[in-house]
Amino acid sequence: MALLEVKNLGISFGGLRAVDEFSVSIEKGELYGLIGPNGAGKTTVFNMLTGVYKPSNGVIMLDGQNITGKSTIEINRAGIARTFQNIRLFKAMSVLDNVKVGLHNHYKYSTAEGVFRMPRFFFTEKEMDKKAMELLSVFELDSKADFLASNLPYGDQRKLEIARALATQPKLLLLDEPAAGMNPNETAELMNTIRFVRDNFDMTVLLIEHDMSLVSGICEKLSVLNFGQLLCEGNTFDVLKNPEVITAYLGD
Amino acid sequence: MSNKATLAKAKMLKPQTKQSFTTYIMVIAAFVIMMVLSSTGNVSSQIEGLLVPLCVYSILAVSLNLTVGILGELSLGQAGFMCVGAYASALFSIATNESITVAWIRFPLAILVGGICAAVFGILIGIPVLRLRGDYLAIVTLAFGEIIKNVFAALYVGIDSNGLHIALNQADMNLAEDGTEIIRGALGVKGVPQDSTFVIGFVLLMITLIISYNFINSRTGRAVKAIRDNAIAAESVGLNITKYKLITFALTAFLAGLAGALYSHNYATLQAAKFDYNMSILILVFVVLGGIGNIRGSVIAAIVLTLLPEVLRSINNYRMLIYSIVLIVMMICTSNEKARNLIISVFNWLKDQIIKLKNMIIKPKTKEVK
Ligand SMILES: Nc1ncnc2c1ncn2[C@@H]1O[C@H](COP(=O)(O)OP(=O)(O)OP(=O)(O)O)[C@@H](O)[C@H]1O
Ligand SMILES: [Mg+2]
Repeated sequence: MALLEVKNLGISFGGLRAVDEFSVSIEKGELYGLIGPNGAGKTTVFNMLTGVYKPSNGVIMLDGQNITGKSTIEINRAGIARTFQNIRLFKAMSVLDNVKVGLHNHYKYSTAEGVFRMPRFFFTEKEMDKKAMELLSVFELDSKADFLASNLPYGDQRKLEIARALATQPKLLLLDEPAAGMNPNETAELMNTIRFVRDNFDMTVLLIEHDMSLVSGICEKLSVLNFGQLLCEGNTFDVLKNPEVITAYLGD
Repeated sequence: MSNKATLAKAKMLKPQTKQSFTTYIMVIAAFVIMMVLSSTGNVSSQIEGLLVPLCVYSILAVSLNLTVGILGELSLGQAGFMCVGAYASALFSIATNESITVAWIRFPLAILVGGICAAVFGILIGIPVLRLRGDYLAIVTLAFGEIIKNVFAALYVGIDSNGLHIALNQADMNLAEDGTEIIRGALGVKGVPQDSTFVIGFVLLMITLIISYNFINSRTGRAVKAIRDNAIAAESVGLNITKYKLITFALTAFLAGLAGALYSHNYATLQAAKFDYNMSILILVFVVLGGIGNIRGSVIAAIVLTLLPEVLRSINNYRMLIYSIVLIVMMICTSNEKARNLIISVFNWLKDQIIKLKNMIIKPKTKEVK
């Protein structure tokens, strides 16, 4: 059975049918791309998958569990983590603390244990520091652990968002335009990192991207959205050759 | 490996630890200096009378800063929680005055009762109110503060051999001959044991500071700051926003309750009218001028702004001299580049605080999440 099984997902905003009858099936370990022109409804799909928007119809199954209509928190605990198209870091916090917030639900001690500095506070914080630094080093951000998140260069901010999402130990990682604003070198590096994450964290990745070099470089399969509708899906190579896809992107 | 080296570096720095210890040392030093000055007879009786209120206001400012600076929500109900703490602790002290005769056992218990009662109010009010955003939250907390004050101002409580009597006017209490009135409406409470001292105030302030810093620099505090910085992202990593808002609000109320207890045991009579919105605004002014989110700043602002009128009064005779000094300093400042930059940076800092406050009041609702 697929890790993510989405059937006939749909949502409207006022009169606008932003996404209609969207279905997709993603196997464990796959690197899957979701592409389409601006305003096609890609981010809206992410928002429905993560419970930010409640879909008006359709079913979302994660690892055999029905998560349709669940809250964002429940869905994160069930195993979906994401990044945002418009970067949403905890700006006034350190790089390290951003990742430690991601670790929040996996390393626990009570508020009282924290306030009264009980042994479990010191022990758990130490474990968290270690784990967070490990994650940061994957993205080569460990040397910037004590920077304020808002002081990182743009590319690093995108990487920190991925590190924070990974810290929640998800089964499925959703990346919304991870290469946006990066130069070709940074993009190439990011592609390696995403592959590394997939291989070393046993991760399944669904990503939205406009950068075709990244999409064709790392995605094994693609779904194409156009005006909220699924235009086509399949192996990356075949989809990118599809004349319908080419016209949707170039316009008629 | 480099990983280990950076980990060691992150450990060594711990700027938060440094920050909190500087504050502790500063407060301890101020306390010692005041104690020495007062024991050598160098403190005027007016200032002497301000020592406990200084601690009260510092605690209130630090506690409000947890909600305003760390959680990033504007609350104007601080005086209400202080009022609950003041009354609850005063009642406790009066009720146990005969059974617990040792003040240093009774008073800490009374303070704790004040804090816990205020925290319960904080939770009860917080559950419905914390769903509101920005200006609505500010207005509703202000209203709740006023309601609490007015309820206490209308309350009559007495005790006699039949037990406790609670009413909304004196006649309805139906006290027996042997009964005593404890709360008498707007006249308030009489006969609160004056247990508050500067030493106890200082200890309470230190406890407040330690609790606050430890809270901020813990797993819970991190979650609270994350919610402040970006609520949508905080939810996306599985943080329960309502829970952490409520915890912060309750802690703020608890600490305000402690301050209220310290306040009520500093005077012979206790009147609800003292806990009006002016008090809440005053505490907010301390927080803003001390720096939103800056715990040490809250203490400094509370102390300086409380002492200022007193100090200005005492130097009234030298008014003309001071005017001319200020004039000369101003002239130097406008001609000297460094001094000018300093003034500009002070104004920029003030502007930052105002902008932070504005962003707290006007919170746009994000419709489209991107
Ligand atoms: N909360 C909302 N309220 C109203 N309209 C919305 C909302 N969220 C999304 N939309 C609309 O739905 C449509 C799809 O938006 P979406 O952000 O999903 O596009 P996208 O495919 O991610 O585009 P881009 O490549 O520009 O990021 C747009 O027309 C957008 O304005
Ligand atoms: Mg988008």
